[in-house]
Amino acid sequence: MELKSIKKHYMLYIMMVPIVGYFLLFAYYPLAKGLQISLQDYKLMGDRPYIGLTNYETVLHDPFFWQSLRNTVFIGIGILLFGFFAPLVVALSLNEVFKSWFKKMAQLVLYIPHLLSWVVVGGMWIFFLSPDSGLVNLLLKEIGIAPIHFMADEAWGRWVMIGSATWKDMGYNCILFLAGIVSINPSLYEAARMDGASRWQQARYVTIPQLMNTMKVIFLLNTLGIFRIFDQIFVMSNTAIANKVDVLMMYTFSKGILEIRIGQAAAASFFVIVFTLLLTLMTRKLTRFDEV
Amino acid sequence: MKPKFIAAASVLVAGTMLFTACGNSTNSNGSNASNTSSSPSSDGASSESASASPAGTKLRILAGNVGGKTPEENELFAKEITKHTGFDTTLEKPASDYDQKVLTALSSGEKYDLIEISDIATLNEFIKQGVVSDVTDFVTSSSVLSDPAVIPTSEWEQLKDADGKIHGVFSKFQGATMPTVRKDWLDKLNLKEPTTLDELYNVLKAFKEQDPDGNGKPDTYGLTTAGLYDIQGIMSAAGLKARYVVKDGKRTIPYASDAAIPMYEWFAKLSKEGILDPNFITNDGAKMRNLFLTDRVGMITYWDAWVGMLNDLRKQEDPNTTFRAAGIPSIPGPDGTILMRRGDPDFWIIPTNAEHPDAAKKFLEFWNTKEGITLGSLGVEGEDYTLSNGTYTLTEEGKSHNRDHGVPYWYNSTVKPAFEKSPGIQEAQDLATKYATLEVALPGWKDAEKIVTNYALKAMSGQMPAKDAVAAMQKELKAANLIDE
Repeated sequence: MELKSIKKHYMLYIMMVPIVGYFLLFAYYPLAKGLQISLQDYKLMGDRPYIGLTNYETVLHDPFFWQSLRNTVFIGIGILLFGFFAPLVVALSLNEVFKSWFKKMAQLVLYIPHLLSWVVVGGMWIFFLSPDSGLVNLLLKEIGIAPIHFMADEAWGRWVMIGSATWKDMGYNCILFLAGIVSINPSLYEAARMDGASRWQQARYVTIPQLMNTMKVIFLLNTLGIFRIFDQIFVMSNTAIANKVDVLMMYTFSKGILEIRIGQAAAASFFVIVFTLLLTLMTRKLTRFDEV
Repeated sequence: MKPKFIAAASVLVAGTMLFTACGNSTNSNGSNASNTSSSPSSDGASSESASASPAGTKLRILAGNVGGKTPEENELFAKEITKHTGFDTTLEKPASDYDQKVLTALSSGEKYDLIEISDIATLNEFIKQGVVSDVTDFVTSSSVLSDPAVIPTSEWEQLKDADGKIHGVFSKFQGATMPTVRKDWLDKLNLKEPTTLDELYNVLKAFKEQDPDGNGKPDTYGLTTAGLYDIQGIMSAAGLKARYVVKDGKRTIPYASDAAIPMYEWFAKLSKEGILDPNFITNDGAKMRNLFLTDRVGMITYWDAWVGMLNDLRKQEDPNTTFRAAGIPSIPGPDGTILMRRGDPDFWIIPTNAEHPDAAKKFLEFWNTKEGITLGSLGVEGEDYTLSNGTYTLTEEGKSHNRDHGVPYWYNSTVKPAFEKSPGIQEAQDLATKYATLEVALPGWKDAEKIVTNYALKAMSGQMPAKDAVAAMQKELKAANLIDE
């Protein structure tokens, strides 16, 4: 029966070959190789003896790893929450705008930062937040607040990362929400209006419940990204705030590329996989993703 | 069945996402399998006859500083090496992230005959990783490299391992970092070069408050640095040497000792009074230089070679400028000792998997001769300079390249510069030669550096009392087994 089915849909299987090949070559082979390296005393050249779980033990006993994990959780959850609710609020607000040109212009302006790399966005924010000539501190000065060295103060470091990441991806998530809003059946609004619902009540009782499935997808996708934060921190971190903002991928990068402890870096990256897996399963459970 | 499917799917998704994110490092590590059987030999895997004719022999070089300033000039540069050595040369000079590219290339099994390195800690790590050939026999038997006039004998100590074996050959002369001051501002404000911490404070305060640039605006700072990178010239006042100092076999970090407390307090005072540029924590070298070049700051701590280049840059912009940068000695310590930071050398290594180690060795000799030094400094004849009747003339291209194609200065005392040195450079180099000493970077320094820098910057910027910052440094360094006392 199954063979018959395969024969029947053979063209579909052939079409899958490049994709399966791509993942085998560029994802699963490195994954297996990374696992092998994590079990070795890995040298760039020469013998690479297997050393069991020593690399994993080294990582688990490294205080920098645990600090990086704490930073990842704080910054990741911050970006997850602010990066979810801020664009949702903006999308709901834009949905109430009737002037089409303004709506389109707002979407365009919001979307532009998403198109820029972190090298550009990070550089911009470092400049904006400069204590003596940055735009933010000039504005603070105008309202009588003393300059704040956002990029050098540990108390601000994590919030700068959360804020700039939210700002950068606001437009992208906003467009996803707006796409969800557009697909809501207009007759629901019509029925609500006939029942005398106000604009707020239409948003509260029609838009938000109908948008729930889109929200779940966006939330899950953003959750998957928590442990992958890297570019932003690489560009924006500095030694004064590194202790509070360096995340797990920075730890892996630092061990592997800067300190050439490749076995240790591979072991750390497997912890990242485990954390991501656990977080994903948890999020699916909490959001009842399978009911989408 | 369903939970299993979910779990399996999640693993696949998580794995895919992760390895897309960190693809560079993992892919490169992963693709190294074919290289596992390479076996290092003691003197560079001499698979090639030393007497082989260069004709047709290839030479593949990976360089960070040496080469053309543009991809086009880099090709000309490689051709020039081919012309001089006879080897069919390929010169790869990545535009950025050089250290990462070296590591990626090595771990993916790429075979280079020469790799340029600028960091002793990296050399030590590469020796441990089996990457670097032992070139002791080659250096000691080479008539060029063993000549003390070409490279002073004592300098080789920098490139020796614990067993006294030499693992690299210098690509240029590396100087030292030192306080670099606006001499024209000192003269304008009738100040003399500071020789004590109090005098330095007065000078920096005057730079901040007495409008040295004469634009009528309070827009200047006394001092800026790029993080903790180069404050050796000032920490010298308390006799504190950067990085590790081994005392009676015990690892110490002077910047994390109690003796550093008054120094951090001194910096905090500068911060509080607005004398120290508040961006010093986030500055990099380029930002620091720009502040100095644009009359925003009166003192930086930087390389000797840059004293001349800063003067040249301003002169090119405005031939009538009064701008004059000058290197000054570090502030002497309590016993009168002046501490300066000698930079890690720039050098070539021959990887153990090099396919043409003999060609690499011949190149290393060429690089330290007059022809090699002229190429590394002035650049390509016809492109960067012309030579007529023994007279060198820089082209416009050559002028913009500042006589630096990887070798602004060199060891070989028999090769005289084709042009006069830039203003201020000789004095700065004399200071470097007289006072600068190498720092000790023991294993674990990168972890220790994070701890020291983190708290030192907090103390210097006044975010944390210096005493608490030093106590926190010591506690964390001891907990991580990075210092013994």
